[in-house]
Amino acid sequence: MTGTGEDLASRRGVETDVYDPAEDSRLLADVACDEVSADDLVLDVGTGSGYVAATVADGTDARVLGADLNPHACRRARDAGVEAVRADLVAPFCDGAFDVVTFNPPYLPADAAAARDDWMEVALTGGETGREVVEAFLDDVARVLAPDGSVLLLVSTLTGVEEVTAYAGERGFSAAALADHSFPFETLTVLKLVR
Amino acid sequence: MAATHPRGMKRDLMDIICCPLDKHDLDLDVESEEDDEVVAGTLTCTDCGETYPIEDGIPNLLPPDMREETPA
Repeated sequence: MTGTGEDLASRRGVETDVYDPAEDSRLLADVACDEVSADDLVLDVGTGSGYVAATVADGTDARVLGADLNPHACRRARDAGVEAVRADLVAPFCDGAFDVVTFNPPYLPADAAAARDDWMEVALTGGETGREVVEAFLDDVARVLAPDGSVLLLVSTLTGVEEVTAYAGERGFSAAALADHSFPFETLTVLKLVR
Repeated sequence: MAATHPRGMKRDLMDIICCPLDKHDLDLDVESEEDDEVVAGTLTCTDCGETYPIEDGIPNLLPPDMREETPA
């Protein structure tokens, strides 16, 4: 395992309280711009800097909300022109509200040596397996989707695309890979999940 | 980036958000607003009565036990 949180954090130049947009954000935003229609209502979970939400709003004219646990991220997203809500995943959103939910989750397996105990660790790590936050998201996201709604989820090989696809399947979703991008230390995939 | 910078919570967000604990509707109490957007106020669950602050135009809909500013 070469991709510890510390390595990636330094490689991505993260020194602040909010995860800055990187390759994963750009891949997700590109795919979402193709998938979202102007009359869709979209939720970007874990919006961070607001990059994905603002890019999709600008690229499609859809209304895009950004949700984040981190108050610094909420303020930064709001300042980027995003309607921000401080939220734990999709907990405070109404049943059936969204046509599309996008999520670039914290997905790195936690590494005790790299534990930072700050907002950046929250933004990067998904527990021991890297899948804890993704799984909590998949447990509840169907509730907030409109009947024909879909989820666009960024998954890394560091997290385990097959494991995430299998877990989503147990929650009633079928998955299709819409795009992927390979790097020396990981391959990023955008999964579209539909019921 | 978007040309418009919202300073507050749009009122029609009320149709999209709910109490994070029991998913019931919220009542909006406005303390200050700007251009018909809510800058400060509170959201109160119509069922359990839990209140959620709107501060600097951002509704904080974290469950009460997750509200502190620092992680973990």
